[in-house]
Amino acid sequence: MLPRAGALRERKRATLSDTALDEAITVRRHKPDHWLMVLCAILLAVGLVVIYAISPALSITTGTNGSYFVERQALAVGLSIIAFFVTANIPMERWRKSYKLLIGAGILATLVAIALPVNPNYPAHRWVRLGSLSFESVELVIFSLLIWMAHFLTTKIKKSQISNVRLTAVPMIIAILIIGVVVAFIQSDLGSTAVIIAMMGIMAFVAGLPLKRILIIGCIILLGTTLAIAAFPYRRARLEAFLHPTSNCQGSDYQACQALIAVGSGGFSGLGLGSSVQAYGYLPEADNDSIFAIYAEKFGFVGSIALLAVFGYLFYRINRVATNAPDDFSRLIVVGVLTWISVQTMINIGAMVGLLPLKGITLPFISYGGTSIIFFAGAIGLVYQVSRYTYFVNHGARSQFNGRNGSDDDSSHRRGVGRAYHPDLSGRIDG
Amino acid sequence: MAINSGDSPAKSDSRIRLWNGIIIAITVVIGLRLFYLQVVRYSYYKQAALNDQLKQYQIPATRGLIEAKDGNNIVPIVLNQRLYTLFADPPFIKHPQQVADQISRIIGGKPSSYIPELTVKGTQYSIIAHKLTQAQSDAIGKLQDPGLGTQGQYYRVYPDGDLAAQVLGFVNNNGVGVYGVEQALNKQLSGTPGLLKAITDVRGVPLAASRQNTQIPPVPGENIVLTLNVGIQEQLQQILAREYKATKSQGVSAVVMDPYNGHVVAMANYPTYNPANYASVSNPKLFDNNAVDYPIEPGSVMKTLTTSAALNTGAITPNESFYDPAHWVIDGFNIHDIKIDGGAREQNIASILALSLNTGATWMLMQMSQKGNTIINGHGIQTWHNYMVNHFLLGRPTGIEQGYEASGYVPPANLNDPSINLRYANTAFGQGVSVTAIQLSAALSSVLNGGTYYQPTLVDATIAPNGHETVNKPKILERNVVKPNIGPELEPLMEGVVKAYLNGGFSFMNFPSNYIVGGKTGTAQVAKPTGGYYANIYNGTYVGFVGGNKPQYVIVVYNIKPNVPGYAGSYGGQPIFADIVHMLINEGYIIPKN
Repeated sequence: MLPRAGALRERKRATLSDTALDEAITVRRHKPDHWLMVLCAILLAVGLVVIYAISPALSITTGTNGSYFVERQALAVGLSIIAFFVTANIPMERWRKSYKLLIGAGILATLVAIALPVNPNYPAHRWVRLGSLSFESVELVIFSLLIWMAHFLTTKIKKSQISNVRLTAVPMIIAILIIGVVVAFIQSDLGSTAVIIAMMGIMAFVAGLPLKRILIIGCIILLGTTLAIAAFPYRRARLEAFLHPTSNCQGSDYQACQALIAVGSGGFSGLGLGSSVQAYGYLPEADNDSIFAIYAEKFGFVGSIALLAVFGYLFYRINRVATNAPDDFSRLIVVGVLTWISVQTMINIGAMVGLLPLKGITLPFISYGGTSIIFFAGAIGLVYQVSRYTYFVNHGARSQFNGRNGSDDDSSHRRGVGRAYHPDLSGRIDG
Repeated sequence: MAINSGDSPAKSDSRIRLWNGIIIAITVVIGLRLFYLQVVRYSYYKQAALNDQLKQYQIPATRGLIEAKDGNNIVPIVLNQRLYTLFADPPFIKHPQQVADQISRIIGGKPSSYIPELTVKGTQYSIIAHKLTQAQSDAIGKLQDPGLGTQGQYYRVYPDGDLAAQVLGFVNNNGVGVYGVEQALNKQLSGTPGLLKAITDVRGVPLAASRQNTQIPPVPGENIVLTLNVGIQEQLQQILAREYKATKSQGVSAVVMDPYNGHVVAMANYPTYNPANYASVSNPKLFDNNAVDYPIEPGSVMKTLTTSAALNTGAITPNESFYDPAHWVIDGFNIHDIKIDGGAREQNIASILALSLNTGATWMLMQMSQKGNTIINGHGIQTWHNYMVNHFLLGRPTGIEQGYEASGYVPPANLNDPSINLRYANTAFGQGVSVTAIQLSAALSSVLNGGTYYQPTLVDATIAPNGHETVNKPKILERNVVKPNIGPELEPLMEGVVKAYLNGGFSFMNFPSNYIVGGKTGTAQVAKPTGGYYANIYNGTYVGFVGGNKPQYVIVVYNIKPNVPGYAGSYGGQPIFADIVHMLINEGYIIPKN
């Protein structure tokens, strides 16, 4: 089933007649961008290999069976492949229509996580138990917000209300406030909160919300964050620890210091796959939030740059899908996924190299933990679906139509995307 | 996208590109930061990592065994046993109650008593129990609880209980020998610890196969074969325990020495202790081997040495007689005998010893000063001082393999001292000079063996880890203590003392006629710490020998402040000597006359 380019049609209607529009806008179906799959597979494989390599250390420090972590991660990879194909094959329109269901599920999961904590002794209630499995409610919240934001912004674009503060910005601010209270304070998950705000902000920005308004909202959030930090002494201490990252290596900065030692001692070429020492109990969360530091210790500067390059190229491919997306909803979904994955990657790695404070969020596709990789694979599945279609303009379109590249000739960007042109799959969406 | 605000699709694209540009910029910043950390600051972080990760461990060397002779066999009297310390890593104890139950099933004790150590906060090493056996340690290992571990450690084991306890000493918690042989030969016994430098996990467990790991294997300690005869030692300890009670003593010590090589065959004190339980001994004085570390004024037993010196210098001859005035006035003080035996009369050398005449000992010092006269002069003082210090080697440790050996005290021959004559007259009968039992044994041995001072020793041989045995050759400290004929001259004089006591009613001094037994009692005044002597407190001492054709063993007995109805030497020291000699003869340790 082909997605509809409704918003695009709306947009063109302002300058073109319906007929002209129908002639001008075409969405072509072709082979999806396999690079997305390949890059994700590389990252998942790297994660599995690193977790396999540090299994002996993990089994010593956690007292589990030697293959426990690898088996669990392999299972999660299997589930994430299923998630990928599920999201890639459920049409965008259906995702869009199910935003209420998803938001409801996100709220429910959060309430369950807070009300029925898996570990009552741990103050941050983030986990939901489903039988013997458990997952992090915030991942579902981010996913539902992604769908809702894309739907919400697309609707505002259609109604030409995107610049209307009361109708567009206020609901978003309310959503951010709720998230700030629930995720940042109750679940004390500042990392995920930052990811959510960045995702919503960038989606709004790309949707066309005036930059001035986004900046004002940004300033308000910054002010609120500053007040929140100032009001809680332990957060103030954390900020101070961040500003002087190695001042208290035996105390509150222990993890940050050990992460830097792991990264730095990896040197140019690394200690080798089986030779990480920091995983043996020195660096907390070696399999999870700190896995980049362990990776950097094993593979050194060369390996770290290679991993950054893989992430960077993945971001680039997602970016290309976004610029070629056939409709506003799809485009906003892809931009949201790009922001979600990239910001989470930056925050995680940034903390490991001492550029950002520790936030306790995973490294996408690499960190141990099923919820994270399943949701990220699902998100890439959405991008993969969108990558099947390219918006372009017919050759016969009238010259006053101002196409994407300021030219009637769309072949340049088709070639630029590098996809094969399949005439048999192409067709006019309204046809 | 929102065309009503004037945005064009190109603007939407440019916003995506802007965002993509920001992502690329951040990625580049992270890349530069990685370059800084991993390339520029590599050596700093490498060192920081090693500071945390590289740990040095000593690999303890197995401590040498201590063995002794038992008949014709060499038997171990100090062994090692590997026992285990059970420790917990509390953060890994998930179910303390369950773990406590399991521990209790394996090593006993109430489960609840283990809970506090299993749940203690802020540590990853909490000791649960000491001295688990190998089987118990294995059973703990089978639990496969990541929060529990055992650590092996060698402990000393004493199959013969308190046998030679104060001679042996013990090994303290730090693996260091204290007191006795363990202290004196700690270096030989402990060997050389190995060294392990290893990259470890955060708990300090070495990681296999790291390039930084280096290992130097430990060299085990040497086994020591003592000169002690287990049979004699055991019986000596029984005798001392018995006589300690019988004489209401404050402490008894005895040494049995082979005079021909300085070997200590038995050496014991009472009260004593069991070194296996050294930690529960409340009075650390029990650890002292008083036979080597407790010098006292020996009293009249010293007359055997005075006689030997006087004979050797030619100042007297064995059969000489002299007129005893019953007291001498020296430096304005009266010297008289403790025993009053009929007052002034003609006496001889034998009766000086048999009656223990202080006036006689003083007379011998006078003869050393100027033969045929009755004055003490500088020549006599210097001669006697020279014998005490340079012939009998008093006033300095003998060098026996014992911790805390004492020097004793010989007054300097300071001729400017206005009471030097009195001081030295006193030393002639064993007052104003302090001597340990081991010093007396070695000195008397040197006279009886013909004039060779062998360093007293407890070590018969050492056995290296490779099995190579090194026999400890007798070490001669002084070759010409006295002329070879002095021993044979002193022997009958000392035998005479034994006979005199037998005739005087001490029936326990009756020994079979095919053995020679000689001796000398000492009833020594005890110096007050504030100066002067106690009126009614004496130490009982005894020196003697037993043998067949020649003296086989020299025996020295110290009995500290016994409460006996008579002279401390006769009633406190002599019975112990008699018991020892009877035991040696009855058990067949002495080769009789042929």
